[in-house]
Amino acid sequence: MPDDVIVSARGVKRRYRMGEEEVWALAGVDLDIRRGEYLSIMGPSGSGKSTLFNMIGGLDRPTEGAVLLDGHDIREMDVRQVAYVRCRKVGFIFQTFNLVQVMTAEQNVMLPMTFAGVEDAAASRRARELLDMVGLGKRYDHRPEQLSGGQQQRVAIARAMANDPEIILADEPTGNLDLKTGEEIIRMLERFKREQGKTIISATHDHKMLAASDRVVYLVDGKITDIKTRDQLKISTGVIADRGAPSSAQ
Amino acid sequence: MPETEKIAILPYRKVFQIAWQGLRIRLVKTFLVTSCITLALAFLTYILVSNGLAAQVAERASEALRQRLAREGLLEQMLSPEQRSQTAWMLGIALMISFVGIVNAMLISVTERFREIGTMKCLGGLDSFIVKLYLFESLCQGVVGTLLGMAIGAALAYAEGVSRFGAEAWSLLPATALLRTLAISFLSGVGLTVLGALYPAWTAARMEPVEAMRNEV
Repeated sequence: MPDDVIVSARGVKRRYRMGEEEVWALAGVDLDIRRGEYLSIMGPSGSGKSTLFNMIGGLDRPTEGAVLLDGHDIREMDVRQVAYVRCRKVGFIFQTFNLVQVMTAEQNVMLPMTFAGVEDAAASRRARELLDMVGLGKRYDHRPEQLSGGQQQRVAIARAMANDPEIILADEPTGNLDLKTGEEIIRMLERFKREQGKTIISATHDHKMLAASDRVVYLVDGKITDIKTRDQLKISTGVIADRGAPSSAQ
Repeated sequence: MPETEKIAILPYRKVFQIAWQGLRIRLVKTFLVTSCITLALAFLTYILVSNGLAAQVAERASEALRQRLAREGLLEQMLSPEQRSQTAWMLGIALMISFVGIVNAMLISVTERFREIGTMKCLGGLDSFIVKLYLFESLCQGVVGTLLGMAIGAALAYAEGVSRFGAEAWSLLPATALLRTLAISFLSGVGLTVLGALYPAWTAARMEPVEAMRNEV
């Protein structure tokens, strides 16, 4: 695996059982993701993009094939190594935010640091810095129910950045947000990529994401049907030029 | 993958801190679950202590009390085989109510948090952390609920005993028998609570995070 490749999916298949029926959510995906790139996985609902997202983050295991993270096969890792990957190497952002409801914004951001063994005082300091960075204001002590959707997603982004992971995995991060907040979130992810060299991998069907992406992978029925670079998409950085899907991707 | 790249196991102190905070914030739910345990244990303890008191009358009651009970026809009734079988039934029902009530309350309180369990696993939480978290939570609820239930059940049983046997009720049950009864109640209450919580928590902890997050109640 070349050094600049951080994630490599090789012949990844995932089968689910739905009653008597077997459904292949992924039907053989090969994909290399380079360090520091912003990659969007696009496709209609049920295309398998969330399944691929879960495989890359070690949240689910392939039925066949392998996902290599930094050259290491996730299937061969023991539970503590997989937990290390989820805690230190990958930061997750979900469509439904998935904040722990009984914890404040600050405690939510502290949680991955607690798992990583960071002392409370240092974790609290960094959590507040991150919450300031994502623009939550001083709502450190607010619980998720006291925050709007956009604010909750900011907390989730701060939480994803807590242990300074190399990869940020975002599953439909703008799916539950209004247009303006969605654009702010995309810009924030793009900034992390540009300023901190993070690898951003986003499963989405939000076409606003295209403007920020270096590459877009199109997934249909569990298979990659097309991969387009930014140049091919003819979209310049920072300009949300096209709110519709590129015609060639249809 | 290097050996150093493994997640550390959180110290118990930290797990307890997180568990305690969860209980505090979910105060209403904590109260409801604890109340279920209290009710079940009050019933179980009441039955155990009442039966203990009645069983001791033949052996330890004073002559005067026995004569009074015999005059009222109660002594014969208490020693009859029908009464024994009724006692066994009541005990069985009390145990069943405790089991179903407590296990059901704990199952619901854990399964409705599968999503939270999945999220914690996404952030690096180990299976053992999830199990310990619920062990602490259920222990706290189990101990408080059980002690309260035992106090209420024993108080009711003695109040009824005093009304039936007079002040002698206080001395009918030897201390060792009372302690044994209370120990059975305590172990049943705490044991059922912990088991009721650990089974779903262990199931959820072993799921892939994405599977746990998909499970909504």
